[in-house]
Amino acid sequence: MSSPSNRRTFLKIVLLSLCTFPRRVEARQRFGLTVKRNFLRPPGAVSEEFFAGKCIRCGRCVEVCPYRCVSPLGLKHGVLAGTPMIDVEQIPCYLCMKCVEICPSGALQKIAQEKTRMGLAIVDQQSCFAWQDQTLCRTCYSVCPFPDKAIRLEQFRPVIDERYCTGCGICTHACPVSRQRGGKAINIEPIYATAFSLPSDDDTVTR
Amino acid sequence: MKINQQHINRWRLWVLSMAFLLLVLTPLLNFYLQFDFIQGWFQSLSIGELWFVSPLEGLERLLVSKEFYGPLLVGMLLPLLLATLCGRVFCSWICPISFLSECGEWLSKTVRRSKKMPQWLILPRYTIWLALAGELLLTMLLGAPLFVFLSPPGIVGRELMTLVFFQTLGFEIIILIAVLAVNLLVTQRLYCRYLCPLGGLLSLVGRKRRLQVVFQPDHCIQCNQCQRVCPLGLAPQQGEGQSSQCWNCGICVEKCQQQSLQFEWDKR
Repeated sequence: MSSPSNRRTFLKIVLLSLCTFPRRVEARQRFGLTVKRNFLRPPGAVSEEFFAGKCIRCGRCVEVCPYRCVSPLGLKHGVLAGTPMIDVEQIPCYLCMKCVEICPSGALQKIAQEKTRMGLAIVDQQSCFAWQDQTLCRTCYSVCPFPDKAIRLEQFRPVIDERYCTGCGICTHACPVSRQRGGKAINIEPIYATAFSLPSDDDTVTR
Repeated sequence: MKINQQHINRWRLWVLSMAFLLLVLTPLLNFYLQFDFIQGWFQSLSIGELWFVSPLEGLERLLVSKEFYGPLLVGMLLPLLLATLCGRVFCSWICPISFLSECGEWLSKTVRRSKKMPQWLILPRYTIWLALAGELLLTMLLGAPLFVFLSPPGIVGRELMTLVFFQTLGFEIIILIAVLAVNLLVTQRLYCRYLCPLGGLLSLVGRKRRLQVVFQPDHCIQCNQCQRVCPLGLAPQQGEGQSSQCWNCGICVEKCQQQSLQFEWDKR
């Protein structure tokens, strides 16, 4: 029925794939997370350790997003290919929560808008115009969906309150300072992206 | 009531094209008209609140995360029911890889003017079970669902979507080209026959299916046309239309001049 050469080819293929795939996963873990500054998961995402296992790459979050901010990762990201990402420097998340509602696999968990923790906005005081006393810039304050809560002005300088900041990235997108990628004066750091990161005061981080 | 089954293959091609058209139209409607009544592709498709989840992707996700999730399980119900009753019909009636392979076969038949598809590599039939088991095992070992990002039918949908939404094509197209090349150049439907884990799962589920191609030897003239046209290389005249591998495409039913092969619903 089967010639030995066919079986040999088949075994070779199996062995080859066994050799290549673990390395790829390992490399991903060694070189850190795909989620990085201003490059975040959609709202309600489970932590990175479980995301690759839970997301079924159906792309419905990408299709449903009315702002087109969610995009799938490419094949060069290995096992994470096809998982959704938001590059807030390009288009931020406006927290419409549509992607959360349609996710069929539970990779994006149902979560209230204000309890979303995609990351935390961090003001870079070295490059912020207001902190450097260059101009009276309050762009981030005026665009923030939770003004006087997530971002408030202290002596005309923006200050973030991590109890309210959802990490939506609207402030990052609007910030006039931009030197290179991740070089805005206010950036979103995905500090809640892994299960081992510190939770915020109220336990809103999806584990 | 006896249904005329002489045009079953025409019906199948029509359904196959409509399914592909759906994949093409959905991202276009979503992108240009914000029409999100229909979303996604064959990894998860939603028509209104009717959600479908591809069984293998769902299974992998359950195995890797070891957690049940209601919407996922509900989404898997209808595809699994279809597979239990009708077998691997997704593969032959809906799958975009099938559509592209059929197009390729039609093209190669017209260009080369030869009706024979290549059969360079014939593997034992159980290879598809090995593919399914190996894939699930590898998925569990690595903790990473492999089929969800490497599934060719899923990649077709994803490529079409990224083409519309971002005007780019991902590297995944390489997998697609490889699968189609194998299907068209090495052996007819080699990937579908032996390697597709989703096909393996669906045929496993549809092992005792109700809809079967039944062979009645009364009028058979042993012309072997059915075996020649079968894309999976099965021999319907030996009752292999009732084997677990048959995907109920109905090509043999249409081909058989004597009407010795008929779709029958096993009432039990």
